[in-house]
Amino acid sequence: MHEYSLASAIVNQVKQIAIEHKALKVNKVTVSADPYEMIIPELLQDAFKIIITEIELFQNAHLELLKLPAEIICLECEFKGEPSEEGDKEFAYNFKCSKCGSRDTHLNIRHLTIESVDLEILE
Amino acid sequence: MTQEKKISVKKPAYLQNDILADEIREMMKSKNKLFFNIMGSIGAGKTFLLERIAEKLSPYFRIFVINGDIATTIDADRIAKKGVDTVQINTGGGCHLNAKLIKNELDKINVDDYDIFFTENVGNLICPAAWDVGAQKNIVVVSITEGEYVIKKHPIIFKGAQIAVINKCDLDGLGFDSQVLVEDAKKIKSNMDVLCTSAKQITGIDELIASLGIKIQ
Repeated sequence: MHEYSLASAIVNQVKQIAIEHKALKVNKVTVSADPYEMIIPELLQDAFKIIITEIELFQNAHLELLKLPAEIICLECEFKGEPSEEGDKEFAYNFKCSKCGSRDTHLNIRHLTIESVDLEILE
Repeated sequence: MTQEKKISVKKPAYLQNDILADEIREMMKSKNKLFFNIMGSIGAGKTFLLERIAEKLSPYFRIFVINGDIATTIDADRIAKKGVDTVQINTGGGCHLNAKLIKNELDKINVDDYDIFFTENVGNLICPAAWDVGAQKNIVVVSITEGEYVIKKHPIIFKGAQIAVINKCDLDGLGFDSQVLVEDAKKIKSNMDVLCTSAKQITGIDELIASLGIKIQ
């Protein structure tokens, strides 16, 4: 349900960037998120399309979502990086530390990030 | 002639919300105010707990509560009867509060008139986890009647919380087991405070207030 708010936040930021660069059009917006950002990609795409409908600058703009791997921080050994395997069967997000094997780990959620914007500008 | 140019951005989509949330947190800190964000399912007992907290704290502190709901002012009206100031945000269809909504309300009051601020977020264990409102601590309330798997099913919100409150513990033993939820919360985040409360029987409220770092002189 929060995809609309996210799409709106993306469009607002990109609009500012486009204005700063005196862009004629926004062609593509590339965003990234890890698997635990709780985003339903289809809903994000739909929300993006709805929001840009009335924004001239965004006509034909395309949203690309890059999926990042999960990242953990181990509370036992302070390892930071990709977990060794998928989460515990019971505790879905208690990933196993790939260094010391502890499951006392925190998810280092990489929030939805605007990676880049492809703009059409005057030469 | 036009050309396509790729601009590297590398900024969180939440940037505007996060900047605002940090501003709220800094402002509260600089003014020596406390600000807590209470999250949890519909019917977990967030409002009832806030009523109990207000009863205990209102003789000593000036409190402001921001309630978030899709519709009605029921929660804000209830808590206001306990001697604190409240405001109700109706989000329409929105499933969470965000920093802008909080800032809008804080701008309407004189922050210096209060000591402690609470938000009661929209009843939901999913979306509020992703939106920083600028609070110093996030508290997640679940009740033992929500089922023994409620914490396992919603790990993200607990990963981001400093305090987990297991409410309705007066029903412990009547087909419900608070200990299962306490253990699950600890397994999800070992350094989180986990407390059992009963808003109905006024148990665990003092412990919750202590966990918030509030000392009644």
